[in-house]
Amino acid sequence: MAGLGAGIGLRARHYADFMGGARPAAGWLEVHSENYFAAGGRERAVLEALRRDYPVSLHGVGLGLGSAEGYSTRHEDRLCALVERVQPAFVSEHLCWGAAAGRHFNDLLPLPFSREALDLVAGRVARLQERLGRRILVENVSCYVEPGGSEMGEGEFLAALARRTGCGLLLDVNNLYVNQVNLGRDALAQMRALDPASVREIHLAGFFAGEDCLIDTHGARVADPVWRLYDAALALFGPVPTLIEWDTDVPPLAVLLDEAAKAQARLDSPHALAA
Amino acid sequence: MRSLLEQQRTFAARLLEAGSGPLRMEVYRANAFGNWSGALGGAYPVVRALVGAEFFDRLARDFALATPSTSGDLHEYGEQLAPFLERYAHTQDLPYLPDVARLEWLAHRAYYAADPEPLDFSRPTEARLAPACGLLRSNWTVARIWDAHQEGGDPAAVDLCAGPEHVLVHRPGWRVEVRALERGDYRFLERLQAGAGLGPALEAAVAADAAFDARAAFAAWVQTGVITR
Repeated sequence: MAGLGAGIGLRARHYADFMGGARPAAGWLEVHSENYFAAGGRERAVLEALRRDYPVSLHGVGLGLGSAEGYSTRHEDRLCALVERVQPAFVSEHLCWGAAAGRHFNDLLPLPFSREALDLVAGRVARLQERLGRRILVENVSCYVEPGGSEMGEGEFLAALARRTGCGLLLDVNNLYVNQVNLGRDALAQMRALDPASVREIHLAGFFAGEDCLIDTHGARVADPVWRLYDAALALFGPVPTLIEWDTDVPPLAVLLDEAAKAQARLDSPHALAA
Repeated sequence: MRSLLEQQRTFAARLLEAGSGPLRMEVYRANAFGNWSGALGGAYPVVRALVGAEFFDRLARDFALATPSTSGDLHEYGEQLAPFLERYAHTQDLPYLPDVARLEWLAHRAYYAADPEPLDFSRPTEARLAPACGLLRSNWTVARIWDAHQEGGDPAAVDLCAGPEHVLVHRPGWRVEVRALERGDYRFLERLQAGAGLGPALEAAVAADAAFDARAAFAAWVQTGVITR
């Protein structure tokens, strides 16, 4: 899959650019799985049309692999049906929880890196992979508070999850940087804890610098220190397929394609071949 | 050491309570309430326009606290807004609001509903309402209110008290449409939706409206894709 190069997140604002005639030059497209769970309608038709011309990645935001209660097998059923229909290049989920006390928070909430959390998530990942008959990728999330109770580092936890389940990792380099600034987790050390062969996809996005911490808004261009971390990631992991994400204040498509071109230039440069 | 379950329940309780826990819990609070408010406004643009964006944020917050999200798919969020508005103290001066919400939920559902399969005229017993179709009877002019809030509409021109209205929501192609129906057509489609079968549904329509032309109505509703197989 290394040949996929740089892709972009497909958002409704850009449907007209994609459906209006010539297909824009994006290496591949990633969508939020839940936006296409519907039985019919326009969203589904757009995805089915673009699926013929681009490799597509399904990126889930609502399953909550680490929810101690309220994990939804119906959500899993709907994801499985979508994967069956779309036959995507990648299927990914977040390392987070989302539901508790009878309520879904519709957000990516932080897990402690504990053995209890590892057992729970590894069981869910293994079961999902068995249902899908394929490997999934699990992504590290950005955090604003330490949940407490961690018994290992973030990288160590991700590496153990990949080892135990055979899942791949979707490494969000921006999230590593946000967590380094917000919580003092050393981003480079987290990356060095990973088995290079397990890193199958990289995410890049922009953050918002708040008064007290960085907020992972996916609403800006990729920041310079994140590009530098990305260079380090490519040196460690090789030319891994890379996605530009943009979710708030989504700009014209040309801006996303420009960011993707910057990632592609780095993927094509010799040091990315070192791994 | 606390279990993961206890820890997550504590985190959840803090997230719902302003000012609780570390300062940065506010980021999670803003995310969750922002996502809920955004999803609610996406499903209910006319309700939002009727009460104004600023008040809608407060309404969305009160709704979120009273009505937990139960799905990781935000497209399913907000179904209970109409019954919530029936009881909501701050909008009792807008008595048509719950029915506008009912109509908007039907429209929201219609947008994501399964695509229809055309009816084969030689097999009329397979006739049913297209998956996107919804019906609503209201004492208020909800279809006109909805129309007035679409592009090019004029909200000031609506007579709110000219009801009752019998309303059909459907989706020819990808766009959702809303229209007011005559009593006979409404009765016909409503009986068909209830599974009465084509013959009994047409009979019920004639009983409700002597002027109802069964043959013409059936052909027209098949043609517009409201009746499918």
